[in-house]
Amino acid sequence: MKPIRLAAGLGAAFMLSATVSTIALAQAPVCSAPVKVLAQPRDGLTLLEDSKAEFEKLAGAGFQIDYLNENDRRAKSRADASTVGNYNVYYVDEANVALFASSKWIVPLTDYYPADYDYADFDPGRQKVATFDGKVWFAPLTGGGDLMVYRKDVLEAAGIQPPKTLDELIADVPKLTNADKGMYGIALRGARGSGANVWRWMPFFKAYGGQWFDGDKPVFNSDAAVKATETYLKLFKDSAPGTQTGSWDESTGAFLSGQVAILVESTPLSGMAVDPKTSQVVGKIGFLPPPSPLPGGGYGHGLAIAAKANADDASKKCAGLFIAWATSKENEKRRLDAHQFGELNRTSILSSKEFADIYGADLGQALAETGKVTAVNFWQDPRWPDLGDRWGIILEELVTGTRTDVKGGLNELEAYANELAKKK
Amino acid sequence: MARRTSLPVTFVVPTIAILLVLSMVPTLYAIVIALQNRELSTPDYSWVWLSNFVDLFLDRRFLNAVWVSVKWEIVTVVATMVVAIGHGVLMFEVASPRLRNVYCLLFIIPVLLPRVSAAFVWKFAYHPLYGIATYPYRLLTGGLIFDPLSKPGTALFAVASVDVWQWGLFFAVIVLKLLETLPPQPIEAARLDHAKRWQIHAYVTLPMLKAPLISLMFVKMIESLRSFDLIYVMTRGGPGVATETLDMYAFSQGFIESGKVSYASAMAVLMMIATVITFTMLWKRVQA
Repeated sequence: MKPIRLAAGLGAAFMLSATVSTIALAQAPVCSAPVKVLAQPRDGLTLLEDSKAEFEKLAGAGFQIDYLNENDRRAKSRADASTVGNYNVYYVDEANVALFASSKWIVPLTDYYPADYDYADFDPGRQKVATFDGKVWFAPLTGGGDLMVYRKDVLEAAGIQPPKTLDELIADVPKLTNADKGMYGIALRGARGSGANVWRWMPFFKAYGGQWFDGDKPVFNSDAAVKATETYLKLFKDSAPGTQTGSWDESTGAFLSGQVAILVESTPLSGMAVDPKTSQVVGKIGFLPPPSPLPGGGYGHGLAIAAKANADDASKKCAGLFIAWATSKENEKRRLDAHQFGELNRTSILSSKEFADIYGADLGQALAETGKVTAVNFWQDPRWPDLGDRWGIILEELVTGTRTDVKGGLNELEAYANELAKKK
Repeated sequence: MARRTSLPVTFVVPTIAILLVLSMVPTLYAIVIALQNRELSTPDYSWVWLSNFVDLFLDRRFLNAVWVSVKWEIVTVVATMVVAIGHGVLMFEVASPRLRNVYCLLFIIPVLLPRVSAAFVWKFAYHPLYGIATYPYRLLTGGLIFDPLSKPGTALFAVASVDVWQWGLFFAVIVLKLLETLPPQPIEAARLDHAKRWQIHAYVTLPMLKAPLISLMFVKMIESLRSFDLIYVMTRGGPGVATETLDMYAFSQGFIESGKVSYASAMAVLMMIATVITFTMLWKRVQA
């Protein structure tokens, strides 16, 4: 009897200790320290900060987001990731995800993204942008393509139909400019950067049949690039003041304050344009896909797990949980309730009745139409930011008149691209 | 008879050693990196010796950056000294002691502002549509647009004006205080000889202040070398490369565009050598 009692006693003690350990483990916080995030300003992230207590309860620690504007965020995250590694989570985008992934500055996301948070619910286009080399690297915070947003009242007054082709756009823009009354035909991006002026220039390049590389051989120095640049410079004559050295903020700011007739920009603009808090042109605007054959610039920004700051598995799990929570359906619903159009990425939200009730059928249809012409216009390679930024400077020089030889600029870029090609 | 003691050595040696470590280690490290081909995106590197320096002299943006830096240095130092001496003398001549104190307080405020804040304030002030600094132009021309930060001919001067606004007014306060410390007799003697006000300052007071004014100019020359924050916020080196100074270009190459830290270090090393040579020559010339 005694051995049986002893065995039973030991068994009970083992079960008890296992249960206690399980409970202890279940209650053990996933995060042991606040998650440090380097991001660029987004309404969705600002809203997220209101729910900080919720994450603290879930993970056992809070989070701290440092914000820098897009170009600064790119520079700082690159410097941080390659040196000290202070941040647990980086805000990455379509332009630098290849560089960050191939440099091993971030780790594959889905290894640490809890299954309950349903990554497959994200818009398939954004999932595609977040994927490099067959692995998913970030969870989207924003993304999409381009839309043409135009002022119905201004076009009607000028007797002009919304342009459906690029040729019509080129012809209409000068007619819509009336500088004396503070109205400009279009707003473009002049500021240097692969995600700034080059981003807006690329649809013209692609529309005229341009290609970046054939294998490792640069083929962009072509008639298509010259024509795209000349068209861009021609349109810039009617671009709103401040955009020559400005980017997204300046061009959308000019449109939302009522100074621009037509704007072809990334899709978040449409949500801002119908929001009375951010727009002075509510009720006066229409939406269409970009004039044919301009392709939309497919893009996606999101959160990725840093490699250096998350040296062990526990830290990576913590960062993964933060990203999953930040991009969860619950938080996305909060963004929808706050009318943050540009921050919506999940198909369950975009196809919901609440979305249609808020934004109407026109915008939904335009988004569906523009999805068909959305494409990846940039060179999907880790060396893209380097090449894109170099072209951004030359393009800024051309826009501001510091240089005038388009072909000379392209020759210079080709020489640089040949150097880059050797580095692979 | 003076006794030899080890006390000075005890105090001086650790301090000098710390200073040497703090200044020499980063400098030597920069020189070493400049002789390699390190890039942020890869841990691999090799020794390329002087190749980065040779490439720099074939790089049109580097040559442009040298020229822009020279222009920046001349414009900001000259304008700061003119504004400082002009305002200092003006306050000395026309303002009562109480009013001088008010002016001094007001003139010190700009330099107390962080450079980045000052740059943002003025960037918005120069906005072609909403800026307060461009408002008079719009008013006088019936609404014509003037965008100084996007014009290659005006961008450098627009950014330099912020630097002068901060330092010129601050130096004006110093010039005023220097004028107030001068003995009154030479000024009274000049007045008895019926010298005009401008003659008193041109031939009496300012020559008496030659040494401190030269020191102020050297301080400003060194300060002007650190133009990065203003230019980064206001133009990022643009339009094109019109305001791209050496430090801005080095940062671009190191961290914004290519991650070429060795190439950026080569620029930093050249800047250091050029600065040391230039300042040594100027200092010797001034002292001669």
